[in-house]
Amino acid sequence: MDLILLAELAVNGVLTGLLYSLFAIGLVLIYKASSVPNLSQGGLTMAGAYVVLALAHDMGLPLWVAIPLAAVVMFVFGMGIERVALRRLAGRPVVMILMMTLGIDIFLRGTTLAIWGGTSRSVDLGVSYEPLFVGDILVSRIHLLGAAVAILLFVVFVLFFRTRLGIRLRAIADDYMASWSVGISVERGVGLSWGLASIVAVSAGIIWGEIQGVDQSLSLLLLKGLTVAVLGGLDSIFGAVLAGIILGIIENVGSAYLDPFVGGGSRDLIMAAVLILTVMLRPHGLFGRTDIERV
Amino acid sequence: MTPALEKEAASILSMNSIEVLYDNVMLAIKGVSIQVPRGGMVALLGSNGAGKSTTLKAISGLLKVERGRISRGEISFDGSVITGLPAQQRVEMGICHVIEGRRVFEHLTPDENLEAAAPVSMNRATLKAEKQRIYEYFPRLAERKNSQAGYLSGGEQQMLAIGRALMTQPRLLMLDEPSLGLAPFLVTEIFGIIRRINKEQGLSVLLVEQNALAALEIVSDGYLIENGRVVMHDTAQALKSNSDIQEFYLGGGSATNFHEIKHYSRRKRWLS
Repeated sequence: MDLILLAELAVNGVLTGLLYSLFAIGLVLIYKASSVPNLSQGGLTMAGAYVVLALAHDMGLPLWVAIPLAAVVMFVFGMGIERVALRRLAGRPVVMILMMTLGIDIFLRGTTLAIWGGTSRSVDLGVSYEPLFVGDILVSRIHLLGAAVAILLFVVFVLFFRTRLGIRLRAIADDYMASWSVGISVERGVGLSWGLASIVAVSAGIIWGEIQGVDQSLSLLLLKGLTVAVLGGLDSIFGAVLAGIILGIIENVGSAYLDPFVGGGSRDLIMAAVLILTVMLRPHGLFGRTDIERV
Repeated sequence: MTPALEKEAASILSMNSIEVLYDNVMLAIKGVSIQVPRGGMVALLGSNGAGKSTTLKAISGLLKVERGRISRGEISFDGSVITGLPAQQRVEMGICHVIEGRRVFEHLTPDENLEAAAPVSMNRATLKAEKQRIYEYFPRLAERKNSQAGYLSGGEQQMLAIGRALMTQPRLLMLDEPSLGLAPFLVTEIFGIIRRINKEQGLSVLLVEQNALAALEIVSDGYLIENGRVVMHDTAQALKSNSDIQEFYLGGGSATNFHEIKHYSRRKRWLS
């Protein structure tokens, strides 16, 4: 295999990886503010894409109106999830909350299937499918756009978590009881993180919907997104971005080399191997906070 | 005005025959009445499981989180009834509860710990001044304000927990076992600072302690709780010289060996 091809695989791996990061940032947001891995992020992403489609295609709004409007709708929806489903579980064991998020995911899949059916629809952002040559390397424009959105969100949220509101959210993730004791509204904080994660879901939903079409399989992004988030450390936004890049490269380059031998399908194997090895060897990921145990 | 009512008017906190149920079945405290005078310092003494922490949680509203509820009685703070209010609202009114076990926000720096506890409405300049005030009380915290709070020593974490509570601008500070697991010199240091804040700022303090000896040094009066009931209420001076208190909590008894102590404590129980 020649060097140009290797470079092309790597560059496209980076871009694809950043799209995984785009998804994973939503997971990290909720984990950072409530210490719960949100298993419904896939469902939220798919719902976000469907809402954009409903506003843009079914109601005929232009995209520049439909996308921000969808973000607002999903923000309110995310806050609503906390109010209706999670508030009564605050302070309960994490396992219960985890099961609730799984339930929400199944609910979202069922609802979108009932309303919009199973056929794949396209978003059509108006991004050209003409290949773009950077030097000798071929890249996809939509991947480039998605990567840029991921980096933008990364910067925004890193800054956000340094603000007073962001600090309060991190405090909530550390200790619910102590947060209540100093008057921090745990409920509102968790609700806000769900709202923000739902906005991230809209952006991931549009980009991925443009790439592979909007249908039920969009919710399966959770598996790759979760792998990225776990490798990055679940509560580190920087970790999610770096892990996305690393995974993207491993997946793209690795599968190109392995596929001829196993006859395809090695992408998922690589992902699974990374997830299992991370949990076994480095459960807190690359940049995750560790449990502090003083001796 | 009857003497009892007069006393109530002078109190910042008054708790009348409070009963607390956990999970709707377990009666944790059975009719506890406590008064904290404005600007005063009061200790709540008693052994493990006597109901001291439950009493504090009933006052701060943190009971609800642990599926407990007040089934009888009334708590009033600064003249208004707070029995049913949510915890957040009580903090805004000026009640802050430093919960047991130095629960600082471990992954935040001490500086961020203080900021997290500041009221949302506090402006930037006040926030800075308030943090400065806390660092003046606890100079050790200032030295380590940018390291991770989880790695502070036990004494520093307790100081941070108290400093964090002070950021909420309380008028009543409730401390649950601040001396737990700390070296005696640190207990003296921390209690000294609490006393100083009480004097300088007029902050009222309700102190729960198993370390009765240290607590009675700084408070004006104390309540003794056993089995969810107040069994004794007196001035700190009187409590210190009470022979039963000495026997059980101050370790000044006449027993010469462990067997004798056990025998004694079996024989002598406050009847409830």
